[in-house]
Amino acid sequence: MPEAIQKDSLIGKRITKLDAPEKAGGKTRYIHDIDLPGQLHGKILRSTRIHALIKRIDTAAAKALPGVHAVITAADVPYQRPIGVAKDHFPLKTDRVRSLRDEIAAVAAETEAIAEAALKLIKVEYEDLPVLSDPNDSLKPGAPLIHPEPHGATAKHDHLKQAQGIAYLGKPDNIAMVFDYQQGDVAQGERESDVVLEHTFHLHYVTHCCMGVSGIIAEFDSSGNLLMNSNTQVPFLHKREFAEILNMDPARIRIIQPPIGGGFGSKLDIYPFEPITVFLAKATGRPVKLVFTREEEFLASPTRQPVILTLRSGCRKDGTLTFRTVSTLHDNGAYTSWGATTPFVMMQTISSLYRVPHCLYHTKAVYTNNPYAGSFRGYGNLQATFAVEQHMDMMAAAIGMDPLAFRLKNAQDPGEVTPQGMHFKSCGFKECLTTAAEASGFQAKFKANEADKAKPGRFKRGVGMASMLHVGGGAKIYPSDGCGTILKMDDFGSVTLITGASEIGQGSETVLAQLVCEELGVPLSAVRVINNDTEITPWDVGVHASRTTFIAGNSAIGAAKKARGKILDAAAKMAGLDAADLDLRAGHIVEAKSGTVVMTLAKLLRQLHFSDKAELVMTSFYYEPPSKHQDKHFKGDVSAAYAWATQVVEVEVDTDTGIVRLLKVTGAHDVGRILNRLGLEGQIEGGIVMGQGYALTEELMVENGVVRNPGFRDYKLVTAPEIPEMDVRFIETMDGEGPQGAKGVGEAPAICIAAATANAIHNATGVRIMALPFTPEKVYRALHAARKEAA
Amino acid sequence: MTALDNYVAPTSLEQAVVQLQELGEVTILAGGTDLMPQSHAGRVKFKRTLMNIRRIPELHGIVREGDEIRIGALTTITELMEHPLVREHLPLLVEAGDHFASAQIRNAGTVGGNICNASPAGDTLVPLMVLGAHVELASKPDDTLFRRSMPLPEFFVGPGKTRLAPAELLTAVRVPIPPKGFVARFHKFGTRPALDISAISIGVGGVLKNGVFTDVRVAFGAVAPTPVCGCAAQEVLEGKRLDAATIAAAAAAARDEVHPISDVRASAWYRKEMIHNMTKRILEDVSANH
Repeated sequence: MPEAIQKDSLIGKRITKLDAPEKAGGKTRYIHDIDLPGQLHGKILRSTRIHALIKRIDTAAAKALPGVHAVITAADVPYQRPIGVAKDHFPLKTDRVRSLRDEIAAVAAETEAIAEAALKLIKVEYEDLPVLSDPNDSLKPGAPLIHPEPHGATAKHDHLKQAQGIAYLGKPDNIAMVFDYQQGDVAQGERESDVVLEHTFHLHYVTHCCMGVSGIIAEFDSSGNLLMNSNTQVPFLHKREFAEILNMDPARIRIIQPPIGGGFGSKLDIYPFEPITVFLAKATGRPVKLVFTREEEFLASPTRQPVILTLRSGCRKDGTLTFRTVSTLHDNGAYTSWGATTPFVMMQTISSLYRVPHCLYHTKAVYTNNPYAGSFRGYGNLQATFAVEQHMDMMAAAIGMDPLAFRLKNAQDPGEVTPQGMHFKSCGFKECLTTAAEASGFQAKFKANEADKAKPGRFKRGVGMASMLHVGGGAKIYPSDGCGTILKMDDFGSVTLITGASEIGQGSETVLAQLVCEELGVPLSAVRVINNDTEITPWDVGVHASRTTFIAGNSAIGAAKKARGKILDAAAKMAGLDAADLDLRAGHIVEAKSGTVVMTLAKLLRQLHFSDKAELVMTSFYYEPPSKHQDKHFKGDVSAAYAWATQVVEVEVDTDTGIVRLLKVTGAHDVGRILNRLGLEGQIEGGIVMGQGYALTEELMVENGVVRNPGFRDYKLVTAPEIPEMDVRFIETMDGEGPQGAKGVGEAPAICIAAATANAIHNATGVRIMALPFTPEKVYRALHAARKEAA
Repeated sequence: MTALDNYVAPTSLEQAVVQLQELGEVTILAGGTDLMPQSHAGRVKFKRTLMNIRRIPELHGIVREGDEIRIGALTTITELMEHPLVREHLPLLVEAGDHFASAQIRNAGTVGGNICNASPAGDTLVPLMVLGAHVELASKPDDTLFRRSMPLPEFFVGPGKTRLAPAELLTAVRVPIPPKGFVARFHKFGTRPALDISAISIGVGGVLKNGVFTDVRVAFGAVAPTPVCGCAAQEVLEGKRLDAATIAAAAAAARDEVHPISDVRASAWYRKEMIHNMTKRILEDVSANH
């Protein structure tokens, strides 16, 4: 036993993720790798028509195929209820299909091949309806309705709908959701402006491309309890929602999450394949596994919300922002998922990234026959930032001000409460701006490129900057934003941390373990994290909104502090010392000042265990952040803390081809405090690459309701040689509410890249492109048009 | 995947062509890098018999035969890139290999497979055309092994379609050793530097002597149903000095002679623009470096 131990800390160190050896060794058992005894394989028959009435479905031949255990259609599950954010979506389609991904029937069979063969035997007769593939068309008077009310149904059926709780009676128009927000008086703002700009920005479809595709295994036990192996990001919300959809007692539903091969927001909603698999399990009395093919993942998993955004903004000659008016049209697709609610985040960027006295914001999410959008890392913020940060550059240019100076003049400061009600208790925005600008040499490069752009030469260099504001301390979207922790110590000094927080590859297990080590003075190897079983773990709202480190971290610290108190009290009593003078270090109880070892932690725990009281060190804690709900006008604080970042992008534009190469990204991120430097770097670098894909290469091409590139051959993810050099700086503002001062950063790094790239292309070529992505052909066309105009 | 009736794996060319003649409906498996994804996607249906030709020694190897280099059909792209004869005499193929898919695909995919897949965007086709390659075909319609040879451009009929007879096997590609002073360039233009399918590709080759370009061959990929000769550009260049006016005229001729389609990878307009710009760039590069 050492005589004395000095204080040591894991905070800020580079810690390898706890699950790294398993994943790197190919040993992680994802849902694909799990097979249960007696398991059947499920497959879904999807529509071959974009918008049509279903006249007849003939499943007889499929049912007769040997090896087939069940073939179901909507008629077989009259109890099914609509799913999704607006409850406008039946898992199995009843009278009509509204998009090419629509589920018509499902099969459970002995093998995937038999299930596949059975699908081919199902005959469907359709009657085509007119297709709406442009949200503008959906708004035209007389446009066909995507969700018409059934015959004879009118508004007065609302009471009926409520009474039954089942029926979905449709919509009288194609508007899925509307958001309105206002602060100040934009007319006054416009009167006070010296410069007013208005432009329309077009944001495209991209999808998550998780390495692990969607999947579920559902089974009922003999008592009717439902167990789902599921990739969901929100197990506790799903437990409740599944209970509603299936008309079951939630207590009979258990969700186990096998290691999840990527989420990025895609697994935040319930999708038809999940209840359908449950229906199949119910119909067959066997476990049913349904895992998407990659093509299915492209066709039938959600996208990022496509947006047409018109931004009108103004400033004074001295660089003060005066107003912003934003009107967006969201293509909702055929059904409503989280994409429709992205205005909630978009308006924060519009009203509060910079100080803007007057703002008016309006969104319509409109039904079409296109794929529907869900939640995706950044949640509308990439789209809003793309417009706002391009306008910042354009306004700066219009008043002859340097883009950095213009931003600094309008940037938020710590302590600010914005007109929308967001309270920035910690705010490193200005430091982000100056750090990123200095580290990249932004101003000198910006001027030099400006001067060079008219000179002859095929390659043009450009530099562009963009900044972002995003929730970093949870987000009050649901009634609670909390997370529970149970912490258990065994008699060898090992810790089991049972947390409600889900791991989707973001590294939460490692950070939570670190935070516990910090309180309990145990090595990282002494901590096990249990986080994937609703029957064991305490409640948590789910992994989204960059909240896990902050919320689950504070929760873990709370439980660990309680355990620490218990241990130190017992040790003090045993050693006849004062608990306040003791500390826990490296698995030992020590005197805090000198580090002198009093006893090993394991010994103390065993003595407690064997004492008359048979004391076990086991604690629980529930953390709810001190943020409030916004009122119905979207005013108020949503998060306990906010993350900030500035990214400077340097590009080279090949004017012969339109190819834009990202040379370097310099990022400055206000992260509150660095907990795991390695994990943080990974998160930021990965986010930058995801932002790069959004900006330059990725596009789910949707034409008249058809996805034209459902595969990695023509859906272009960024490949290794395209990844730019990165220089990422961290600004530590030590947030007062954050765990050890940290703030959430999961979404932050992806948000600015597209906007900064747009500004860099302009700096390089003088051409401003307001539609994503910046594919070579699009850039070349813009350069070509500019050349023609000049000539 | 389709259920197979029959699987054969002949161990000699003789045996293979006999089986081809007897069995009729045969799908041939070489590297499988095109066949497998195409069959999974339902674009190719397996015929009754699957013939694995990988055990046929005659289809392997790269050798010099007189003034030609014979590249066995089963040569993988990696073997092609690493072979000393290819590196010495046919560096254009090494350059093309470097832009060919990924390392894993290059380790499995074969030259013969790339040719028989007959994709207008096939990465070895344009450089092989520029090098004046012939394909070597074998069959055994009666008691004697019958071999024939065909210039590569004639071999292609359309996307995935060739002049290979049903009972015929592509055994090798023969490439004449280029004369002294021969220079060639291949440019694969995709939207990203790796793992891409060409939006267009261009190959240019010819003998440059005293500044004059002769025996010029120009070929384009991904602008027509098959890889095609850039005959108009060729004609502009033949016997000329590579000065700015000639280069501009050749690039314009190239743009005007291709009739590409619009698809998810590029529009026809953009493809024509890129044919123009890349042809110009290649010729400027040749002119500047020789």
